[in-house]
Amino acid sequence: MDFQIEVNSNQLDVREGESLLTALTRNGIKVPTLCHMNRFSPTGACRLCVVEVEGRKDLVTSCSSKVEKGMKVRTNSQRVLRARKSLVELLLSNHPDDCLYCVRNGHCELQSLAEDMNIKERKYYGEQKTLYPDYSSPSVARDPAKCVLCSRCVRMCEEVQLVTALDFISRGNKTTVNSAFNKGLNVSTCIHCGQCIQVCPTAALIDISHLEKVQTALGNKDKMVVFHLSPSVGASVAAELKMKSRHLAMERIAYALKRCGASRIFNLGFASDVNVLEEARILKERLETTSGDFPVISSCCPAWVRYTEDHHPEMLNRLSQVKSPQQIMGAMVKTIYAEQHELDNENIFSVSVMPCVGNKYESSREENTHKGISEVDAVLTVRELFQLLRSFGLDLAQMNEEKMDEPYNEASSVAWKHGYSGGKAEAVAEQLFYMMGHGKKERFKFNPPKNMTGRREIKLTVGGKQLGFAWVSSIAEAENYLKHLKQEGRDDIHYVEVMACLDGCVGGGGQPISRGFEMARTRKKMCLEMEKSAEKKYARENLKAGKLFRDEKLSPGNELAEEWLKPVFVDRTSE
Amino acid sequence: MEEDLGHFFEKFPNRKREDLIPLLQAIQDEEGYLSEKIISAVGRYLDISTNKIYGVATFYDNFRFTASGKYHFRVCHGSACHVTGTGMLVRELEKQLKVKDGETDKEGLFSLELVSCIGACGLAPVIAVNDQYYTNVTLDSLKNLIESFREIENSAI
Repeated sequence: MDFQIEVNSNQLDVREGESLLTALTRNGIKVPTLCHMNRFSPTGACRLCVVEVEGRKDLVTSCSSKVEKGMKVRTNSQRVLRARKSLVELLLSNHPDDCLYCVRNGHCELQSLAEDMNIKERKYYGEQKTLYPDYSSPSVARDPAKCVLCSRCVRMCEEVQLVTALDFISRGNKTTVNSAFNKGLNVSTCIHCGQCIQVCPTAALIDISHLEKVQTALGNKDKMVVFHLSPSVGASVAAELKMKSRHLAMERIAYALKRCGASRIFNLGFASDVNVLEEARILKERLETTSGDFPVISSCCPAWVRYTEDHHPEMLNRLSQVKSPQQIMGAMVKTIYAEQHELDNENIFSVSVMPCVGNKYESSREENTHKGISEVDAVLTVRELFQLLRSFGLDLAQMNEEKMDEPYNEASSVAWKHGYSGGKAEAVAEQLFYMMGHGKKERFKFNPPKNMTGRREIKLTVGGKQLGFAWVSSIAEAENYLKHLKQEGRDDIHYVEVMACLDGCVGGGGQPISRGFEMARTRKKMCLEMEKSAEKKYARENLKAGKLFRDEKLSPGNELAEEWLKPVFVDRTSE
Repeated sequence: MEEDLGHFFEKFPNRKREDLIPLLQAIQDEEGYLSEKIISAVGRYLDISTNKIYGVATFYDNFRFTASGKYHFRVCHGSACHVTGTGMLVRELEKQLKVKDGETDKEGLFSLELVSCIGACGLAPVIAVNDQYYTNVTLDSLKNLIESFREIENSAI
């Protein structure tokens, strides 16, 4: 600590150069704010973080003011409290009051601010503008009437994801956050990552809900509802419930879903194993046959795939030719599983439970439906999973456990690695290391740097050759990194894992909404713990997954595999 | 589209972000408005997201996104005109021309735009049709004006 300042008559230790808000928050003094985001530059747009500084005439926004020596600050004087209350009252003046029917009811930042400030009536009546919601996208819905123009989504979309699908349109009291030409997100540059939903303080940005579809299917006797449970969701539930027996999280969700009327619960981690085995095989093939066309870039993140299609058609041939775990799982169930159990795949309703909203978009992509049969019929986010269970009166905190269903019940530790940035790169590197004949005599060492931000690379000697593995999270990092590789003419990197959300799926758009990025870290910790306690360490030890690509009908080259398991990447630059 | 805009782009060879507004102004001066195609093409040229450009352009009153009509009504929205009856004139125009602020009618004949102070407050209320200014406008003189344009159009057929 560099020096002290006086806050509410107490001395606080602060660091040179930090913002007043950071200093206050670190010292446990709560200052409300709507527009501030960690990791982002301050904008001072919402002005809720105002404080009184001795010697200054006006109130000061603490997010955009630096701490100064000799500063005397009051965070809860009458003047400050009155100003903040008025600000919230003004925000509410044209805000719809349909809280009862609102998705964010109970966890809305504006609602809790109103409660904190003891606002019990509408003090100002603002002009109620007619603004139409936008349900055009398969993943993200927008309701501009609920927007408070805090700019968190705009900054996320522009600074982290580089797509600017959302931006301020017009100005003054006509300002809205909208997509280009007010035309709807489906024809915008949106990549469906859902990070805007994560940062939205109200329900101005929400996901396209598949809940009703799933509930209807559960009530339909002719439909066999099959859930594919992503291990990341297990980690997320364990983190939300602060579960002690966290390795049982998946089994507990399985038990609860069975009580909702699900016929089968499969472990989506099974498909993650398949995905890694396949990706390592492709990488090995590429290393043996061609040179120069590197790095191979992972393609399991639908938002990243969409970004590449929109902006870098020249890199499409570098995306690894493997479908994402979600689509592999869906394809397996509707083909070989249906055949083995003599089921009509028209009657199977596949639901995958994911920490992602991009998967909703992915499941609706053209290549993932075959003659009217979708590989995955509905995608539930973690938020929707909780909602579904609540609607059935089930509380995950008080559930038993039940094993997931054969044959896709097992997954190796790799399944958890898919959940966080860097995990998959490690798994692919390890599998390649093994395939090149190292596994038996040497130990695989992969010690990534501990920090969660910034670019990370690792070099390994495999088969007498030095190979480079790298991983990035967020489109901005990916874009910068790939540009750097090109500009420097680097050919020492052979595999790049890209996840569009910050920190990977643990920070996914379908995760429970939480302010800041701390929960993503907790979820990653869960993933790491669960991966340690997994019985099987490597994807190849999941024998059934290995078998799938050796002699089952879905092995590469097979007719069925060509139709169901071949990813399609399209150049969309002209759209 | 890029070929049509080539001569505009030539003036901005550095392809910098700060070229955006001058470039848009140059295009609008000649084309009369900024179409979606123009905005997309400018985006590709300067490597700026289409929505970013749309956001910037909608921030300023000067940019139009639809072609203006043959008779482009600009109604002064300054304080002097406001208190002397712009509101009434705008309502009349909206009713008669069946367009709202920033819109052009289906025939491409009339368009309406509310503009900031024209700078003739002593003669308020002021409106302009294309480059011709009309001062001390009343409801009756406005009706006559619209009627005269309609007559010109009818006699032309």
